[in-house]
Amino acid sequence: MAEAVVEMKHITKCFAKVVANKDVSLVVNEGEVVALLGENGAGKSTIMKILYGLYSLDEGQILIRGKETMIKSPADAMKNGIAMIQQHFSLVPVHTATENIILGNIKGRIDLKKQNRIVKELSEQYGFDIPVDVKVGELAVGVQQKIEILKALYINANILIMDEPTAVLTPQESDLLMNFIKEYTAKGNSVVFITHKLKEVMEVADRVIVMRNGIVVNTVKKNDTNEHELAQMMVGHDIIPAERDTKLDYESLPTVLEFKNVTLQPKDSVPVIDSVSFSVHEGEIFGIAGVSGNGQDELCDVLSGIRPMTLGEILFRGKPMHNMTIRERIELGIGYVPVDRYRDAMEMDMTLSENILLKASYDKKWINKGFIRKKALDTYTKDLIKKHAVKATGPDDLARSLSGGNQQKIVLGREVDLGSNLMVFNQPTRGLDMGAVDRIHKVILEEKENKKAILLISTELTEIFGLCDRIAVMYKGKFMGIYHNGELSTAQIGLLMAGIAEGAA
Amino acid sequence: MVNFLSRVIIMSTPLLLGSLAEVYAERTGMMICAIEGIFLIGAWGGFVGTYLSGSQVLGLLLAMGCGLAMAALYGLITVYMKQQQVVTGTALQILSAGFCSFFHRVIFGVPITPLQIKTLPKLPIPLLSQIPFIGQILFTQNILTYLAYILIPLSIYVLFHTSLGLTLRSTGENPEAVDVAGINVNRVRFFTVLFAGALGGLAGSFYTVGYLGMFTTGIIGGRGWIAFAICFLGNWNPKGAVLGTLAFGLADAVSVWIQAVGRSEFFPNELIIALPYILTILLTIFRSNFNVPAKLGTPYSKEN
Repeated sequence: MAEAVVEMKHITKCFAKVVANKDVSLVVNEGEVVALLGENGAGKSTIMKILYGLYSLDEGQILIRGKETMIKSPADAMKNGIAMIQQHFSLVPVHTATENIILGNIKGRIDLKKQNRIVKELSEQYGFDIPVDVKVGELAVGVQQKIEILKALYINANILIMDEPTAVLTPQESDLLMNFIKEYTAKGNSVVFITHKLKEVMEVADRVIVMRNGIVVNTVKKNDTNEHELAQMMVGHDIIPAERDTKLDYESLPTVLEFKNVTLQPKDSVPVIDSVSFSVHEGEIFGIAGVSGNGQDELCDVLSGIRPMTLGEILFRGKPMHNMTIRERIELGIGYVPVDRYRDAMEMDMTLSENILLKASYDKKWINKGFIRKKALDTYTKDLIKKHAVKATGPDDLARSLSGGNQQKIVLGREVDLGSNLMVFNQPTRGLDMGAVDRIHKVILEEKENKKAILLISTELTEIFGLCDRIAVMYKGKFMGIYHNGELSTAQIGLLMAGIAEGAA
Repeated sequence: MVNFLSRVIIMSTPLLLGSLAEVYAERTGMMICAIEGIFLIGAWGGFVGTYLSGSQVLGLLLAMGCGLAMAALYGLITVYMKQQQVVTGTALQILSAGFCSFFHRVIFGVPITPLQIKTLPKLPIPLLSQIPFIGQILFTQNILTYLAYILIPLSIYVLFHTSLGLTLRSTGENPEAVDVAGINVNRVRFFTVLFAGALGGLAGSFYTVGYLGMFTTGIIGGRGWIAFAICFLGNWNPKGAVLGTLAFGLADAVSVWIQAVGRSEFFPNELIIALPYILTILLTIFRSNFNVPAKLGTPYSKEN
């Protein structure tokens, strides 16, 4: 039996009145990969942030190598050999890799040449080929993650916590990461791997700790369990995924949306959308896969009318729509679920009813001689809450008081009703838990059955493969190709997402 | 000509000290929006300290103390209570103006002729001051100007070649990264604000102790804001701050000169006085690639 390097005993942590962790106990052994599995809000990041000293604990104790240890700040954690890679990388974009790695770990004068050499040598030990003197912000996400790992290696950490490390990676980059984890733990180091992806758990973990609603519900050896069982533990009940109707012959149905050589090129910069052409038929789910930040958000901006495009044409049922105002586009029956609902879809400090009103505030349905028809609005909101199983007490709840998944259901409900012809989803399930994801997938498939044209942008390959009829892969503003679902393997799409075109051959 | 250029250096000194204070603070994400108020209270503190104790050293120390106290209040409100920097700074500036004029009257009443103190002596540096032309301009100045000379290379060294500088710069760009690296973000910010306050107070005292030898409530006349603007124009870099400062020092000196020679019938004096301000606006508009610290003006708090 390997020695326990970390023991967390009876940890409780509250934020204001919300209990984030309740009586959580867990052990990490030497040389072991522990997967911390759970849905959003299950408390898995919180418990690890406590171990790393970012949050203070309210109750409980932490033992490092058998000795009770007070961890009050990340500095204490690092002294004990603990490093943590945050879900959103904590890198300074305008500084170089070396500057990021030595931050906080160096005193006095900085001999940058010498430090560059040290970092270079360190990175070569693990086969990481990183440019040490390029600004981090100019590097790909996969490389940034390597820099984060090097930060841990630089301080000789032997307990490495990774918070959802694969969320931003291509499948190939994920494989490299998994290899690193195996190599790293083979040397007697330990890894805590926070995730909600079952596949990764099965691939890399030795032991799985499942969390739900702030408590540990189960701890199992990987070899004694399977994906299905883990999913049940994580969600608390069974989930039967929705089935796509593959029989519908959408290609014989009319085209709703057509992009013709659409280009968006900001001043003095390379195009962020580069001559993109595609069409979406009624009853079709057209998927755009790709690592986020490759022009998908801009494509939505251009489509919804937030940004004017530079070149090309956008046709709606054969008629140009690219010169229309946003309101005219909404009136065409285009529903849009944007990627960042906090920024683009909701007012967090307004009620659910008001949020419903938000996008069609001029509509006769809601307005009577300049006054809001509160009753009609509230009734509608109540129905929507019921229909989409939103966990809310009523239409007067503040949007802020809902969980992310429930907020998204409200947005979804509103947009689905507005978008009678075309629905645009930009990463509709990003950051949501399995229950909400499942609900949203079912809604998307329902809309397909209602013969709406659907554009689905996603970074999750399971979502792309599970829902889409046709798939385009976007890389640096270009489409790497358009394929029927089934033509591409995960490996092939991974290569396309990394911009390597031969992958399709 | 020598006199005129020497005056440029004089007028530049407080602006440089002030803008360096801003550079340090803004690199950590803290705009010192109270800089005008800190200049004023520094000028006042310098005057009061010198007048009452008869010692210029004590006067300068009091100036730094006043600046530090003002900055501590500013830091407390903006760093720890996470309030809006611009609003807080503006409020503190008003507080400073009221404080200075009130206590000035409490201490000195309303004298018929303005009270005078001795200004800092010119200290010609041996050998260097003998260099023709340049020696007179650059090396026959008072101690604060020499301090400014030293601070320029020192600031470049500290900001770009030491771990402290790396921490300061990182704090303004991505405080999360600094936090995760085991450094207390708010402490870094607060202490930088304190340092900037002391430096700003010293800069303010230049107008009383270093130059005019008297105090009026309008003595700063927006020069704190100019130091603030110079930090922007200088791209948050000590080198840029030097260039910006010289431009404003020049304009300031020109306006003083025109007033002195009384040529205002040919050239409206008001325009000259307004020149530095107009210059600020023009330079701000026409400067393109700004290198703003990404989290400038944003309070840091961990999620939840």
